[in-house]
Amino acid sequence: MRVSARRVLTGLLILGGISTLTQFLRFCLPCRQPSQGAGEPVTVLVRDGWRVSSDVPLVFVGGVPRSGTTLMRAMLDAHPAVRCGEETRVVPRILGLKLGWAAEKEGVSTKVLDRAVTAFLLQIIAGHGEPAPLLCNKDPFTLKSAKYLAHLFPNSKFLLMLRDGRAAVYSMISRRVTIGGFDLSSYRDCLAKWSRATQAMLTQCTQVGSKRCLAVRYERLVLHPRSTLQTVLKFLGLPWHEGVLHHEEAIGKPGGVSLSKTERSTDQVMRPVNLDALTRWVGHMPPDVMADMDAIAPMLGRLGYDPRANPPNYGQSDPQFLNNTQRLLRGDFKTPVASLHQKGRPLMSIKGSQTER
Amino acid sequence: MRGQKVSMLLGCALLCSASLLYLGLSGIDCPPPDHAHRHTWADAHLGSTNQSQASPIYYGEDTPLIFIGGFPRSGTTLMRAMLDAHNAVRCGEETRVIPRLLAMRATWSRSARERVRLDEAGVTDQVLDSAVRAFLLEVIIGHGEPAARLCNKDPFALKSLSYLARIFPQAKFVLMLRDGRATVHSMISRKVTISGFDLTSYRDCLTKWSRAVEGMYSQCQGAPEGSCLPVRYEQLVLHPEVEMRKLLSFLGLPWDPAVLHHEDLIGKAGGVSLSKVERSTDQVVNPVNTDALSKWVGHIPSDVLREMDDIAPMLARLGYDPLANPPDYARPDPIIAPNNYTLLKRTETLHPS
Repeated sequence: MRVSARRVLTGLLILGGISTLTQFLRFCLPCRQPSQGAGEPVTVLVRDGWRVSSDVPLVFVGGVPRSGTTLMRAMLDAHPAVRCGEETRVVPRILGLKLGWAAEKEGVSTKVLDRAVTAFLLQIIAGHGEPAPLLCNKDPFTLKSAKYLAHLFPNSKFLLMLRDGRAAVYSMISRRVTIGGFDLSSYRDCLAKWSRATQAMLTQCTQVGSKRCLAVRYERLVLHPRSTLQTVLKFLGLPWHEGVLHHEEAIGKPGGVSLSKTERSTDQVMRPVNLDALTRWVGHMPPDVMADMDAIAPMLGRLGYDPRANPPNYGQSDPQFLNNTQRLLRGDFKTPVASLHQKGRPLMSIKGSQTER
Repeated sequence: MRGQKVSMLLGCALLCSASLLYLGLSGIDCPPPDHAHRHTWADAHLGSTNQSQASPIYYGEDTPLIFIGGFPRSGTTLMRAMLDAHNAVRCGEETRVIPRLLAMRATWSRSARERVRLDEAGVTDQVLDSAVRAFLLEVIIGHGEPAARLCNKDPFALKSLSYLARIFPQAKFVLMLRDGRATVHSMISRKVTISGFDLTSYRDCLTKWSRAVEGMYSQCQGAPEGSCLPVRYEQLVLHPEVEMRKLLSFLGLPWDPAVLHHEDLIGKAGGVSLSKVERSTDQVVNPVNTDALSKWVGHIPSDVLREMDDIAPMLARLGYDPLANPPDYARPDPIIAPNNYTLLKRTETLHPS
């Protein structure tokens, strides 16, 4: 082809036009923000040079209240490598707040919000107690957000405490433990809510997966503490330690079990693991509720607690721990006044005050 | 000849569509911020590190944050837009989550019983404050581009001004003040919903405006010396350069003429980022102007006008004559100091004129 000056000029003009168009489009089309350290873990300075990151190993203990969550965390606290500590009360509240914000479209991006929530949670969970290789948090209702927490904390695991709903509900009603959304004047209401809450938490646990979430039955924990705790410690990747079977000896000790005077299970968890509370609920359910039990609380049947059996056969106790219950009934474990902790305030009576949770 | 022209045109069309497709699919990365123009606080004060600029490890309780706030419709967005135009500052849009967290924190400390329970759990004030601080820093830092001075604008965050001053001792606060009648007229005419405010009643809104501003204003007065500056919207739009020079000096920032032309930096890197859903965006795209100063005149019901001083006592306290419609904003009455205010009120009741 003959190349004339005119053709070259036309060609150059066309190329120039295309490049101008491209530049123009570059400004018109939306540009991508460079991602700001996308996968970087959130790190917080807790105190005195102690830094904690969001990829730290963590365990969340939860379940419907009155299902043995405090017992489980107390036994874990007795392990030298673990520190749970008391219920923080604020962890579930910030999670609830975040849930309410999920619908917001403007403001901060989800990624930034997640980082902010992570930072807040780390400060609370780490800051409210002593350091330990495995940090732990026990706020019962956090297991309703297990999936979200699993996303925020990639090395976290979850322990879901399950219990016969009738026992849990009897406990909250007879001890007057106020729980948001539960009407303590109605067994029917509480059982229905127990069933729904248990189902929600179990669903979350299943979605997190068996490698990261383990469901533990209260009945099995108190009947067979050694084997149950062996399973739990294996799940958490921790070596066995005899101390977990005698958590009552570690109360108030450094590196041991720290109890709150205002929590509703403190008086019970100060005693060694026992069977006292297993079947106390029998005879206290209203007959109309007993008749409709399966319809009111479908999770009972689904979890293997026979809704028609009062009580079901939870199993036989380990002989060495049967001793604990007998000694308890004899009156051996009265509140040891000095061993709670040295905060210098009057102790709660063993019967439990009428204070709200 | 014609065939060649056609094939050339075809070739062009092909090239154009190919480049369009490529650009559309691959997306274009935003032009990186002008590095000569900006420097991060970390670089300036801690020396350069190989940590990313957004790392919160270097931002602690000593971060010199700027908090802009005040009652909504008082020029808070204008103020933050003008500061955003400064090359060392980044505020960005309202986060909306910060005021809610602060409000929740406030309820936890209000109940004595709850404080006991939290203390028993090891969740002391110190632990809570560290957590709130960590949350706020993650939000403010992650919310936009890095900058030497980070800033946040959420109007009602200043309802917790004293608390913020405590957890961020190096922070500075800019409290926007405006004639309540103009504020309320703006709210009502533009239907800007604020929870608890009845948009059908000037009386209700003015009463609540007065109470809300009083709370924020007294915290501003009570804040550590030199940490809170009240800025009047009217003065800002009438004398922008004077006010901005005063403000930048208060913030410890050098003068930057760009702050007087924030409208030139909208949507630009290092400039002013606007939100599509915020209610003031359509106004703040314009240069600073005095259009909104007296729009409220003639819109307030006469019964409310008559009782104005009783309905909204903060008007007089802030130097806005409650009986003038409108006052002469160009010649402002001084803000009455708290001590003088109570003296004045007593004199008035003794000698009603």
